[in-house]
Amino acid sequence: MEDMKQDLIGIVGADNVLDDPVITEAYAKDESFVLSIKPKMVVRPGGEAEVQALVAWANKTATPLVPVSSGVPHFYGDTVPSVPGAVIVDLSRMTRILRVDRRNRMVVVEPGVTYAQLQPELAKEGMRITPPLYPRANKSVVGSLLERQPTLITRYNYSLPEPLRNCGVIWGSGQRFFTGDAGWGPADLEAQWASGGRQVDPKGPAQTDFYRLLTGAEGSYGIVTWASVKCELLAEPRKLLFVTAPKLDDLVDLTYRVVRIRVADEIFVVNGAYLAALVGKDAADVAALSLSLPAWTLVMGVGGRALFPEDRMAVAEKDIADAVAASGKQLLQAIPGLATSRVEAAVFGEYDGAATADGAAHWKLRAKGGVADILFHTPLDKAAGYLATMQDAAVAHKYPVGDIGVYLQPQHQGVAYHMEFSLPYAKDDKAEAAKARALYSAASKKLIDDGAYFSRPYGEWADPVYNRDAAGRDALRTVKKIVDPNNVLNPSKLCF
Amino acid sequence: MALSNEAYEALQAIVGERNVTRDPAILDGYALQMLVELVRPNCGHYMPRAGAIVMPGSTEEVQAIVKAANKYNFGVKPHGTGWYHWASPMYDPGTRYGDEKDTVQLDMRRMNSIEIDEKNGIAIVGPYVIHAQLHAEAIKRGWSCNIIGAGSSCSVVAAACAYSGIGAGTMWMGGNAENVLGMEWVTPSGEIVRNGSLGSGDGWFCGEGPGPSVRGIMRGTLGSRGGMGVYTKCAVRLAHWPGSTDWNVQGTVPAYRLPLDKTFRVYTVAVPTWDAWTDLYYKIYDNEIGYTLHRQYNLAGAELAPAFWLMYTDPTKQLSDLPAMLDEPGMAELTEEMRISLQIVMAGRSEADAELQDKVLDKILEEVGGWKVEKYCTQDMAEFTNMYMNRLGHKEINYVYAGNYIGSWMQAGTPDWVKGYIPVAAAGYERDYRNGLLVQAGGDSMMGTVGAYPGGGIMGLEQFVSYDGADHESTAAAWYHMDDAVEDAKTINYPPGKEALYIEMRYTDEQAFDKWSKSKQPWTYVFQREIRKRYDPNYVGDRQYNWIPEEWERGEKHASTPIMPGPGRPQPAPEGYPTI
Repeated sequence: MEDMKQDLIGIVGADNVLDDPVITEAYAKDESFVLSIKPKMVVRPGGEAEVQALVAWANKTATPLVPVSSGVPHFYGDTVPSVPGAVIVDLSRMTRILRVDRRNRMVVVEPGVTYAQLQPELAKEGMRITPPLYPRANKSVVGSLLERQPTLITRYNYSLPEPLRNCGVIWGSGQRFFTGDAGWGPADLEAQWASGGRQVDPKGPAQTDFYRLLTGAEGSYGIVTWASVKCELLAEPRKLLFVTAPKLDDLVDLTYRVVRIRVADEIFVVNGAYLAALVGKDAADVAALSLSLPAWTLVMGVGGRALFPEDRMAVAEKDIADAVAASGKQLLQAIPGLATSRVEAAVFGEYDGAATADGAAHWKLRAKGGVADILFHTPLDKAAGYLATMQDAAVAHKYPVGDIGVYLQPQHQGVAYHMEFSLPYAKDDKAEAAKARALYSAASKKLIDDGAYFSRPYGEWADPVYNRDAAGRDALRTVKKIVDPNNVLNPSKLCF
Repeated sequence: MALSNEAYEALQAIVGERNVTRDPAILDGYALQMLVELVRPNCGHYMPRAGAIVMPGSTEEVQAIVKAANKYNFGVKPHGTGWYHWASPMYDPGTRYGDEKDTVQLDMRRMNSIEIDEKNGIAIVGPYVIHAQLHAEAIKRGWSCNIIGAGSSCSVVAAACAYSGIGAGTMWMGGNAENVLGMEWVTPSGEIVRNGSLGSGDGWFCGEGPGPSVRGIMRGTLGSRGGMGVYTKCAVRLAHWPGSTDWNVQGTVPAYRLPLDKTFRVYTVAVPTWDAWTDLYYKIYDNEIGYTLHRQYNLAGAELAPAFWLMYTDPTKQLSDLPAMLDEPGMAELTEEMRISLQIVMAGRSEADAELQDKVLDKILEEVGGWKVEKYCTQDMAEFTNMYMNRLGHKEINYVYAGNYIGSWMQAGTPDWVKGYIPVAAAGYERDYRNGLLVQAGGDSMMGTVGAYPGGGIMGLEQFVSYDGADHESTAAAWYHMDDAVEDAKTINYPPGKEALYIEMRYTDEQAFDKWSKSKQPWTYVFQREIRKRYDPNYVGDRQYNWIPEEWERGEKHASTPIMPGPGRPQPAPEGYPTI
């Protein structure tokens, strides 16, 4: 143990090797149901060279490394060691914004850069990156993109990993490598910038899309030390529009239409419980809103940017109004019973500045202190069927159906929808937590069996999902053997 | 090593006697491909002859063929619709690494199904479906599809899974690399790998995951061009078509015209300088206007294009009228007016949106000092451009001047970066055509995508160099133009363009390994070697899936033979030799 500590101090310095039991205990669990396993230590590298040295050391000593880039709370178990004896590689010190390029609308960041840090810097240049729905302030931008968290503006989502473009990576083998068009040039960002390279094209190099291998990998293939990200222009002015309905089915055709014609900026569908959690100030507020908000709401952002921004927004609003009228629905400027500013804070806020470091105030935890999320991909026309599956499971487990939050986020221009069931529960109430967990497991299994596509198979989903596709699983294992032959990076997390 | 009778009989047993042949005439028919004379010994017109041509009818038959290849030790090379020499067997005796073996060519024409999920905007296609077929079916249903720059006569599966996949519509619709959802890949080892939701049995709608995307090893910047198994089916995302679903096509061949719907605008716009041109691109990106955009007409060369397209769209004119048209009053002025120009089709989701896009374009042109080229914005020309840009059905133009063309340069990057090679590419072509052996269309014969990636930000310009493949001297001039373009790029510290990929076709495997092992980050090829070990242990594919053996990785081995000699440089033009 002491030898290990000295080795690690030699790499990252004494201040950045943490073995205080309180600290290691904090990394041993998260908000998910995954088994708690305590790491031996936590190290906080300050740069790429230290990451590479850590990976070399891990290979030499056969020590598992678990990369973490965001602050707490974590929700899916991906940052909790799956095996004993691991060392957490906390990348939160790597907070440099390496390059902001307004003309090409690109930014290059290290993995510790958070939404709270980045968005204000981009705003100075009139840009932002499309965020996921209300990320916590300490959420790593790179971490979010590597997880393929859904982003809010589907018309900018040209493939699921977008706006992620290039990555610098230290593979589990210790190999240092650049993905995408950066992979054709020297492995030196400064040299690439000097010769006009901007790390814009994510494809390749050669016949492999290496960056796609890094997404969804939960840090088990390589540790990303920088990433280039495509930015968009800040929308100014901008506003939200709404359509409400008593049933999800009532919104399906309209959502198809609005997504298809690419008129909206942000666009998603939520039920009342999810919306209440998103905007609620505290548990009582969430509970009250859950009862009063419409059963279902289609949320659409419209905005102006570049030339004639006011005209652009006005035309978009008119086109949406026409689509809504054609569907026989009513376009609303506000959701009945809810100040629009509260929704705007969540949708346009770009990060949840209210969340505190201990995670207690994260909006998903405000209702009851605990939450279990079930998330998968589906075409929109199958969403109502999966909702019924979820509700049936809730009834069978005596879980209040009205508490289930539902979020549908169109992705990849609308061919796939991220569907999320959010199951709040009282974390400190063992019986309720057990009930929520049983429902989570049973509903997940039923949904997987019914064809819901769990593209990010965290925790207990991993085995049933990877086992549905033996050839795909074998391919992932093949890659693992190449890039991390000693299996030092986040072992036993996926299908290896 | 010739294909054994035993192997041939095995192929007959798999696909039936009617669907396999080794008739030499047919074999040679497949070996005659585009650009071959620029990469073959003595400028020959044929790629190596296949051992047999096989026409599988299903994924299962492809799988059985690949398994037979491993058993009987022959290579497999699929041919979708055939564009370039990539689609052919590529090995002469002594040029393949490892075992000598004959290669069987798969002709995928029996696998031509189209299935469209109208609700979700997804098309599932077989490898012989071309973009024109899919586009026609999609338009009827209010959808469109990205058509690659190589034209609507090319296979969707090839473009989406095995090659590049960008075109005039990529900025708005996405490239085929981004749009491909599910892929069905018969590996050289005979396994079937499917990615994303398809692999999990959940449908064709999501290409990523579960977990890390297997999609990552299936295609990258380019696909494996038939060198690593066979793609037997794929799904692509369609894009909304805001126009009429019943095309009222007008005119006569070849200048068909598509009347503009109320929400459509079609222009040829021009700018005075290349600096203004980059500003124009960046402003188009930021303002998100345009449905299809391309610097299309300039493939005919900046000196000839303005007259050429007026000739092409005039039913009373033919190519031989072009010299006289160049001398017509006003043509010189028009040539200057549209020297740096591009074509843009704007499709509004509503009339108000179309009007706004018009207003935005006008403002952009004002800001960059640009203009609309009036002669090319008349109703007839706009309708012709509308048809051309939305269907990309005029690939004969690539060959119109002299029968053959070679695309050089085309390095992709930001507009600012691409701008840096334009003068060098133009000067190089002017130098190379001075002796009259290449078509003198103008040093700037560069055509290219406004957006090589959806949303814009990346583009490239391909230099269209026309030559006569039936004339040895002209072919030799094109041969050395490729070599010279590589050297020209070096003078400005740019990487080589498309021509370098073609030049690789002259190499043996070992010579290609030499090149790749010296690349800036050769681990790419080490990774792909390990993937090959797993999925093609008997090397029944070819090196279009790039890799290097261990000896090259360690620097212990190098190619032992010289690179294929050229045909001899043509004489340079004498002093004072006229050019256009």
